[in-house]
Amino acid sequence: MLSSNPLERNLQISGIILIFGLVVEALCLLGRGPISFLVFTGLGGLTFALGIAYYLLALVRSGSGGA
Amino acid sequence: MAAPTIFILLLLALTIVLIAVIVFRPGITATRGGKMMAFLVLFALPVLCAGMGGSAELQHAKSTEFCLSCHIMEPYGKSLLVDDPGHLAAAHFQNHRVPPEEACYTCHTNYAMFGGVRAKLGGLKHIYVYYLKTPPAPEDIKLYEPYHNRECLHCHAGARSFEEGAVHTADPDLLPALRANRTSCVSSGCHDVVHNVRSLKDAKFWKGSN
Repeated sequence: MLSSNPLERNLQISGIILIFGLVVEALCLLGRGPISFLVFTGLGGLTFALGIAYYLLALVRSGSGGA
Repeated sequence: MAAPTIFILLLLALTIVLIAVIVFRPGITATRGGKMMAFLVLFALPVLCAGMGGSAELQHAKSTEFCLSCHIMEPYGKSLLVDDPGHLAAAHFQNHRVPPEEACYTCHTNYAMFGGVRAKLGGLKHIYVYYLKTPPAPEDIKLYEPYHNRECLHCHAGARSFEEGAVHTADPDLLPALRANRTSCVSSGCHDVVHNVRSLKDAKFWKGSN
């Protein structure tokens, strides 16, 4: 399923991480208590940041690789 | 469910679908347009979603419903409905001196610089104590630090009832002492019946406006 092209593979991985983070955030928005707030900021926020960082890193790597 | 939350959920769903397109068809990012789409879908939209979702969560964390969702806070919620104007919290709640949907937060936040952040950190401490330590009985819960008059004066300073009230002006030293927090509004024998959860079993309750 993962592409053989390194940039495309990295985009896929960051996409998968982001989907996980966004699903967690969506589920937490449906919850009403403090636990959903904690999971939103902790797990959701962490995976979201990780996905974004992975995407930006993939862009930087592909840029420096092509130069 | 509130309309903004529904909008955020729809935006989240759209973002997830668009990311899934890139995950299953990564080849579309080879073109210039595809790269721009990838930036939008893997960066701009998720940042927007997380920002809006975070804002909605923080807003919800201020709600009375959120504070009272912990079982231990139940008597404090009940104390807001005591049918006695002498009960400070009940009188404020029932007469909308504080917004009823954010009653707890309005009085228990800190109106100094970064007060909102400190209130949130205090809330995290509540959760830590509630889930990982042994929480006290509701009637034994105490504030982390004595209640500061600044929180009362955030609304009452300048109000006629405060500035010209007979008791407040009877002693010329009282108003300056209140403003300087040398004399407490809530523990100096004047407005000291606040939540009083110990005496709720004998109290009469207001049925509410609806």
